[in-house]
Amino acid sequence: MPANSSQLLPVLMATLLGLPFAGFLALTATNRRLAGLLAIGITGAGLAISIFLTVHLPEHPLTIHADWATMAGMSFDISLRLDALTTLMLILVHFVALLVQIYSISYLRDESKLCRYFAYLQLFVGAMLGIVLAGNLLVMYAFWELVGLASYLLIGFYAERPASSRAAQKAFLMNRVGDIGFLIGIFLTYYYFDTLDFSTLAANGAGIIAPTALGLCLFMGCVGKSAQFPLLTWLPDAMEGPTPVSALLHAATMVAAGIFLLARIHPLLSPNALVVITVVGTITTLWGGYSAVFQTDIKKVLAFSTVSQLGLMVAAMGTDNVGGAMFHLLTHAFFKAGLFLSAGAVIHAVHTQDMRQMGGLRKALPTTFVAYTVCAAALSGLPLFSGFLSKEAILGGAFGWAGTQRNGLAYIVPTLLLLSSGLTAFYMARQWRLVFFGEYRNVDVPLTRAHEPDWLMRGPVVILSILSVWVWFSVNPLSAQGSWFFHILPMSKEQDFGWLAPVSIGLVLLGGWLGFRLREPRADYSYVRLSLNYGFLDFFYKILIIRPVLRLAMILNRTDQRVVDGMVNGTGVATVVLAHLTYGFDRLGVDGLVNGAAWLASRLGQVTRSLQNGRIQSYITVAVVGLLLVLWWLL
Amino acid sequence: MILSLLIFLPLIGSLLVALLPESQTAQCRWIALILTLGEVVLAGMACAGFDKTVAGYQLLEQANWITLPLGGLGIASIDYLVAVDGISLPLVVLSAVVMLIGVVSSWSMTKRLKAYYSLYLLLTGSIMGCFLALDFFLFFLFFEFMLLPMYFLIGLWGGPRREYASIKFFLYTLLGSLLILLVMIGLYLSVMDPVSTAVAAGLVPDPSAVTTEIVRNIQAYLQNGQLNPAYVVHTFDMRYLSDGGNYLPNTFLNPASEPIVLGLPARMLAFWAIFIGFAIKLPVVPLHTWLPDAHVEAPTPVSVVLAGVLLKIGGYGFIRIVWNFFPDGASEYAQILAGLGVLSIVYGGLTALAQTDLKKMIAYSSVSHMGFVLLGVASLTAEGINGAVYQMVSHGILSAMLFLIVGVVYDRTHDRRIDSYRGLMQPMPKYTTLTAIAFFGSLGLPGFSGFVGELFTLMGSFQSEWLPGWLTALATTGILLAAAYFLWTFQRMFFGPTWVRPFESQSGPISVLSDLTAREKLMLIPLGAMALILGLFPNLVFNLTNATVSQWLVKFAVE
Repeated sequence: MPANSSQLLPVLMATLLGLPFAGFLALTATNRRLAGLLAIGITGAGLAISIFLTVHLPEHPLTIHADWATMAGMSFDISLRLDALTTLMLILVHFVALLVQIYSISYLRDESKLCRYFAYLQLFVGAMLGIVLAGNLLVMYAFWELVGLASYLLIGFYAERPASSRAAQKAFLMNRVGDIGFLIGIFLTYYYFDTLDFSTLAANGAGIIAPTALGLCLFMGCVGKSAQFPLLTWLPDAMEGPTPVSALLHAATMVAAGIFLLARIHPLLSPNALVVITVVGTITTLWGGYSAVFQTDIKKVLAFSTVSQLGLMVAAMGTDNVGGAMFHLLTHAFFKAGLFLSAGAVIHAVHTQDMRQMGGLRKALPTTFVAYTVCAAALSGLPLFSGFLSKEAILGGAFGWAGTQRNGLAYIVPTLLLLSSGLTAFYMARQWRLVFFGEYRNVDVPLTRAHEPDWLMRGPVVILSILSVWVWFSVNPLSAQGSWFFHILPMSKEQDFGWLAPVSIGLVLLGGWLGFRLREPRADYSYVRLSLNYGFLDFFYKILIIRPVLRLAMILNRTDQRVVDGMVNGTGVATVVLAHLTYGFDRLGVDGLVNGAAWLASRLGQVTRSLQNGRIQSYITVAVVGLLLVLWWLL
Repeated sequence: MILSLLIFLPLIGSLLVALLPESQTAQCRWIALILTLGEVVLAGMACAGFDKTVAGYQLLEQANWITLPLGGLGIASIDYLVAVDGISLPLVVLSAVVMLIGVVSSWSMTKRLKAYYSLYLLLTGSIMGCFLALDFFLFFLFFEFMLLPMYFLIGLWGGPRREYASIKFFLYTLLGSLLILLVMIGLYLSVMDPVSTAVAAGLVPDPSAVTTEIVRNIQAYLQNGQLNPAYVVHTFDMRYLSDGGNYLPNTFLNPASEPIVLGLPARMLAFWAIFIGFAIKLPVVPLHTWLPDAHVEAPTPVSVVLAGVLLKIGGYGFIRIVWNFFPDGASEYAQILAGLGVLSIVYGGLTALAQTDLKKMIAYSSVSHMGFVLLGVASLTAEGINGAVYQMVSHGILSAMLFLIVGVVYDRTHDRRIDSYRGLMQPMPKYTTLTAIAFFGSLGLPGFSGFVGELFTLMGSFQSEWLPGWLTALATTGILLAAAYFLWTFQRMFFGPTWVRPFESQSGPISVLSDLTAREKLMLIPLGAMALILGLFPNLVFNLTNATVSQWLVKFAVE
């Protein structure tokens, strides 16, 4: 390592984080011809710095601090941290973002708000980099929320479309639900450990077992951002944004943040918390997988497959397999970005997202077809592709974990995960058939006009599909055991189940064959509707949460106007009425004997009545008289 | 000198404007602008002269105002006493800035300019007086003085229901004032000024010779009954009111003797009375209903001042007066107080969600956000109190911005209903950007000041030994609700195809929907920038407050 690197690395870390934000500002003030190039330049520079940091990675995690808020001897710092996990994510985020931006130049060629689009993308990347580089929970939370903002801006990019702005709002609010848990988790962490620093927490975590609630609250953040059950419905809706954004959002940013969070806080998770996390991950995998099966929108199938794969990663985290989860995050990022960008090419060609309008596109879009096939194979977990390796790592880890659990029921989890990989093959094969095989069904755009996009769009797709092949990750196409990846992040369970690979390959092939042969059922069958409406989750939200909250809001508003204000106004009216009564009594009671008393009552009546007449002098008089009376009483 | 200037410069200006000949009426807005600019400069000078590392009152100015021997009852004394500490200084700076913005916002006023600016400057001086006064009587004087101009500003320049709103505002606040007054008198009768008493008793020749030892002796004499009552100097000095040793034995509010009034402990009654007095100002649910009405009827600049500054006097009163003089009540009832804070947060947030009037929505969001102040103060932790002061500053900036934003559309179309607008983004892009900044800043997006205030008040309440954790958990739903009502409003008003109800029948682009004018930008951009700068560098505030808050907390330390 060069001698000056101790000063250089912190500067580079800060630069890396600052670049996209500078880019954001610059892009809001640039013209559309330069926008794409500027964005690519910035992200390219970021990638170069990331590679440099990876090469010169110090042996021990490097942390840098800057004062942010100081009070009563406690300092809440802005701190950044550099370790192997960080560099891995840095390269991944920059790389995918770079490809997505290159692709966007062509894909959004006719967009009028192009500069703003690239500016928002930079913001998105910057926020994600903040999460990755964060050295403590507070900094991570800050950028976490910023990712929420960036996704809001990007999902709602087509602001004139109501569906788009609704989806953006939904994404932000659902994420906020999770973030509240995250925030409480941060408070709990600070309460128990008096620090939020990852380095200190990792050291502490070995000694004190954090309460389960702490881990689960922090996990809530992951549930929101990584679209885990039950906060998963924002992710399919997020498809309303531009397609390249979906590629970025589903691969390297946003949804990856939740998984990354779990990797960071893993030492804080108690055994019970891990069980909950495993269960949530498993439910999510199946829920997402089943929801993907009968979707008709090409992007929605992919969105639910993301949900399903994220569930797999979370379950891996729960089964103590940080390495396996992060490995799947990495391989998934490439093939899922590849799938989304290919889907973008398909949409670009046929001008629809509805797979029922597609079909037979393999001849018209040969490059896209091949790329799509490779990425889909990787996603399905076919051998020779990256997805197989990472899924084996997760499944192997899960079976190993189940073996260590006292309760035999634990085997349910890896079994379900195994079955879900068959499910993945099923819906991917169905999609593959609907898009690329059979008859072309779109009457609006003739097949002859459907053509491959230019190389700005095809290039990134090809690169991503090449990266979905096994060789980049492990020499042995059937096992990830010797992979370079596990030198960076060791896999916790090193069990090797000889039977696992054949069984899972068999399941994938069976699922794929069934999916390819499937005859589309009618959309009104209940099991189809269950899938199309993703288990009616949104419906339950509407019935159980949104409507009651709005109704409560209405009731409180009415309480405010009728009860609280009613009492205020009632007091006012009562005073006036009383004043009139005393005044009337005074007038009617023309009695010489009570002349003196009547005079007094009349004065009193006028005074009380004037309380309501709006004359400021009388208030002052009342105040002064009151003051005198009080003084008299006290003295 | 600086502090007195802060108070009297606008007061003199107020008089000047009132005496201006009719032909010169146009000049009064310039006078107001120059004076409020001067206020900002003076506040900056006060900051420069303030030693951040030292806790306690600085830049103190004292003059004997009223001294009245009452024979056997002792000696009455009222001082002109002004000073700043870490809690008041940020609020003084905030007030100066918001008052300046208010003048710029008033530029479009045309009705009865002289009266308007005269009252406005009177208000400015009284607000400064409130934050600076260290004598309770002086404070109360300014507190009452604030009501008058506010009443007229709403009642004369307000909307259609201005009379109802201004009377409601006045009666509510008057009730609060009366409660404060009661307790103030009670405190006055119960507390002596040890320094002047020492002089009166002949222990020392003049006040400068009094040492802490003599103060301790005097306090001991007092408690043992060795002090001739005729020598006892009664005081409104807040420094002495907050010291339990200065309370006369067998008086109403002596913490030790616990007299009973109306079957209840006097100190408890006094605590709740004075709490309600300031809680009306903050406002705390259920004492808040004057606020939406006052806001809806008030003209834009008055709304800005009301939300930006006046509400902070409630929070300031909690810290400076209620908690400071009644530490026993504050810790005993910490859970109820924090509960009221949480109630305000959640109730305000939910009610904001139900509003159809944009200004009312923002008024209720103020209720919700000021609830964080009460929660932070009630937590009795360093994070909570620092966070509460910060939250007041942050809310001052952001709510000023929000009310200006309402003013922008209202000026153009005279319609404030949220559902009267759709797709404002296309005709007014700059306005949309600044609204987004204000909305996201207010809903607690990190990087803006709103986040910091909420973070630390919540953190404080969670760390607090007095409060249960679930209370904080409940309070966090407030930030979810904030996201909901702001984003929902934003979506309804700014996204989609452009449509405005008052111009429904008109085809083609709507000409009144012009983007921000230079004057509007001049107000909104600095406020947005301030919210951002404070959010990125919260130590700008915490460096001022930290030392004072630590010292303030000493009396709450758990033995």
